[in-house]
Amino acid sequence: MTKAYRFLSGLLIALFFCLPLNGCYDSIEIDEEVYALAVGIDKGVSNIIRVTVQYPTYKDGGGGSGGGGSESGSGGGGEESGEVNGTVISTVEASSLLEGISMLNLSSNRQISLYHTKMLVFAEDYAREGVVRYVEPLARYREVRESMRVVICKGSAEEFIKKSSDFVGANTAKGMEMGFYQSQNTGYFPDVFFHNFYSSLISPYGQCTAIYAGVNEFKQLDSQEKEKPELHTDVDLEPGQIPRKGGSKSEFFGTAIFDGDKMVGYLLQNETRFYLMAIGKFKWGIFTFEDKRSPGDAYILEITSSKRPETKIRFEEGLPVIDLKISLEAELISNQSRIEYETLDKLTELEIEIEKYFHDGIKGTIEKTQREWNSDIFFFGKKAAAQFRTIQDLEEYNWLKHYQDAEVHVDVDVKVRRSGFLYKTMPIQSTSPDQKGRK
Amino acid sequence: MREGHFGFLEALSLMVIVLINKIFFTSPMTLIEKLGTSAWLGTLISCLASLSFFGLLYLLMKRFNGQDLFQIFETVTGKLVGRGLIFLISLYFLYYTAINAQEFAAILKAYSLPYTPIYLIVLPLLVIAAAMTYVGLEGIARVAYVFVFPIFGGLVLILVLAFPVYDWDYLRPLFGYGLDTTIGIGLLRSSAYSEIIFLAIIINSIHGLKYFRRVGISALLICGLVFSLCCACILAAFQYPSSSEHLSGMFQLSRVIYYSRFFQRIEAIFLFIWVFASVITIAIGFYISLKAYCRAFLIKNHRPLLFSILLLTSAVCFLPRSFPEILQIHVRVIREFSFLLIYLVPILVLLVAVILRRGGTSNDKSL
Repeated sequence: MTKAYRFLSGLLIALFFCLPLNGCYDSIEIDEEVYALAVGIDKGVSNIIRVTVQYPTYKDGGGGSGGGGSESGSGGGGEESGEVNGTVISTVEASSLLEGISMLNLSSNRQISLYHTKMLVFAEDYAREGVVRYVEPLARYREVRESMRVVICKGSAEEFIKKSSDFVGANTAKGMEMGFYQSQNTGYFPDVFFHNFYSSLISPYGQCTAIYAGVNEFKQLDSQEKEKPELHTDVDLEPGQIPRKGGSKSEFFGTAIFDGDKMVGYLLQNETRFYLMAIGKFKWGIFTFEDKRSPGDAYILEITSSKRPETKIRFEEGLPVIDLKISLEAELISNQSRIEYETLDKLTELEIEIEKYFHDGIKGTIEKTQREWNSDIFFFGKKAAAQFRTIQDLEEYNWLKHYQDAEVHVDVDVKVRRSGFLYKTMPIQSTSPDQKGRK
Repeated sequence: MREGHFGFLEALSLMVIVLINKIFFTSPMTLIEKLGTSAWLGTLISCLASLSFFGLLYLLMKRFNGQDLFQIFETVTGKLVGRGLIFLISLYFLYYTAINAQEFAAILKAYSLPYTPIYLIVLPLLVIAAAMTYVGLEGIARVAYVFVFPIFGGLVLILVLAFPVYDWDYLRPLFGYGLDTTIGIGLLRSSAYSEIIFLAIIINSIHGLKYFRRVGISALLICGLVFSLCCACILAAFQYPSSSEHLSGMFQLSRVIYYSRFFQRIEAIFLFIWVFASVITIAIGFYISLKAYCRAFLIKNHRPLLFSILLLTSAVCFLPRSFPEILQIHVRVIREFSFLLIYLVPILVLLVAVILRRGGTSNDKSL
């Protein structure tokens, strides 16, 4: 090997290793940045928009401490510094969302980054006026993750973020992300990712939805005791109205509905579960039914989706007809009346009763979205698209406009598969002859 | 020039990487913007058109068995015209290399290195291409064989992991903006497979006609299917309006992979395979441009020219002023109109050969 060849080879190898050095211009030390967890958007007063950003203080380990309910942090200045439970919540008014975040850098000694933002919160008032001008820059901006969730809150976004405290575990970021998993565990709200929200905004197949949320001030619990409390199994509540106290004051509870980029309404918690069943996103949830054979008693079912819903759409005399078939599985997890629902004839009766409940609920929810908002949040349009040969035909027909004309047929099939650990229900033994379970 | 010899798998790897590379860039977006929900069908039509062209190219190569495309140009059209055509091909591939490097740099800047000066992305890339050209064709092919596994592995991983976000109903209406538009654009976009001509230029390094046919057909079929599948997956994940907006549909697909807190943000895989594929594509483009230049001017040793061609490519690279200019003019020229040079010239040469009864034997029934 000649000297020149060796020299050239060495030079080429050196040049090859120059390639990774490109990253130096974009390199950033991990502690030069602070990662925003939530971004809130409210109407401004002196300018168009009020932006709230929550980021962890990185004190007490992890991504910010969680414990405690007070608005103070270790070493923080409490309310004045915006320090809440191991995070700082800063608010600014600006002419645009991204400039607002840029201005908030002045409130922190580190660069605020959106790489790990978990949720984008819009105030309901603002969402009703249109969100696209604040969603579009985020869809374009490289820092924003597609896995960020979109939330519409009753009242102010700033207040909602302040009240979104996490009380379990030491990591706020983890707690916030796990909060969204409750959608799978309850079905009370849809888990809406930013990329889905944006795609749906410009979709001809259907309209977008977002998580509907609110702040619970813990004033809903009635302190007046009643002699005999009544059983209410089908109570529909708005976010912030759950009769409870303790835990986080923020609640995800329902679905915000859009027409284009404007919020037009919302589904309550049970309607949300029917909606999730219809689109195949319902995983499992607990339902309490009043036992008609024993008024005042309830039986409780754990409902799971057994397979994806089947949707067929055809046109009859120019009008769309939607056939929706939903299959559910149920497990009897409580039977207060102690009637033997485990026997085959009673089981069939029970199934018919439950099928009717879900049929009416799902059909009612679909008709509500047609009648009140003409907003196809179920994305039936993607099935209707199969009836058109070209995109021009589909766009000319304008499915979103004709959604309200659709005739909807819902078929629900429920199979009660199990009854928990107990296979039979035996009567209660006592001196009284009319004890539960006695024939 | 130092060309060397390599086998079927090396040649196939090289062609597959070069053909597939554009799926990582703006091609899916352009295709979906023009064809909507039938983009996956359009690219299959492009693939079929390219296979037809490849059939004609095979007939030409068979007629002049033992010669590469440049030798055939000289044999059929004479030395002056033949060298003119070779020089034209050299210029085209210089332009092709420069625009591919610029497209790579622009997208890398948009997604990953926003503050790095563009010359610091482009220049090392071109220097590596020049270094690979210095080593020779065999070296490039063997590097391609090594990297084809991570590239394909990564691609498959992204497509499979993104499965939960697919909804195949978004591939409807079936004919997108119309069957006629799909066929028309599909035929026009056959230019996107024009790199298959490399095989005719390097035929003597791949053991002649036998491998030429096998590699060409296999590479086109594999790439057509992969391209079609990728377009379908992008459409199924984002719907056609949103897919028409994303600079790199495949990168976007890797960003939406989300299984849990612990299994997300895997787009780094994408960056790796993207860089490997781009380096190999740019290197072979650079090599072909230099080889054609040397042949046009009867230069035996290509190495002294490396620096000049590198400088020239860099100069062309910085001609476009903005990303829209790269996309709307230069990338469009390469992926929609390059067939006028790459497909039509060899077909015309074949026609001239048949008319003038050049090549083959009098009793050759191949035509």
